[in-house]
Amino acid sequence: MKSNSTLHILNKAPEHPRHKTCTQALTPSDTLVLIENGVLSVAGNHLDAPCKLYVLKADTDARGLEAASEDITTINYDELVQLTTKHAKIISW
Amino acid sequence: MTTLIVIDQAPYGSWSGREALDMAFSLAAFDHPAAMLFTGPGVNWLRKGQQPDGVGQKSAEKNLSAAPLFGIEALIADEHACQQYGLSESAMLPGIELASNIQNVLSSHTHVVFAG
Repeated sequence: MKSNSTLHILNKAPEHPRHKTCTQALTPSDTLVLIENGVLSVAGNHLDAPCKLYVLKADTDARGLEAASEDITTINYDELVQLTTKHAKIISW
Repeated sequence: MTTLIVIDQAPYGSWSGREALDMAFSLAAFDHPAAMLFTGPGVNWLRKGQQPDGVGQKSAEKNLSAAPLFGIEALIADEHACQQYGLSESAMLPGIELASNIQNVLSSHTHVVFAG
């Protein structure tokens, strides 16, 4: 992991203005984790992320969703904590 | 004179939808006709297979499946929003009416209440 990479944690549904602001801020060396209402991005085509993409399993399970794309990795809370330790900077949107 | 309760927010992320559901059920329990409209991210309330144990909440799906029991007249989903969220009829709870034009639904009710 590059030392200047940023972990973006997005918990807003696609209609929320900050959802767009977040996706516009992504660079290829960043990582995006979808949590809470953010996981609704995997339902329908709401996301075109240029970087590594993760979804939190507890939140997709709660909403009856499955990460349909192979580009999306499903993680648990422990793995989320691991990700936070591997990035120089974290933005919670 | 049916009251239309509108849920336009996603389930689990906040409490506003839950409060709207309580309101609808309370109205129905006291014999005030009530119906519900789900639009925007709110259509995700209607998805089958919700398992919210991991987030420590009760299933919105189970709550909603009790709606006919409480006497809620109709559960209506905005068809356009369902498409946006890839929610097909087969992935949806049974007994949901689809509305292609929610303006008609809104204008046909005297009382309309939004959640949140």
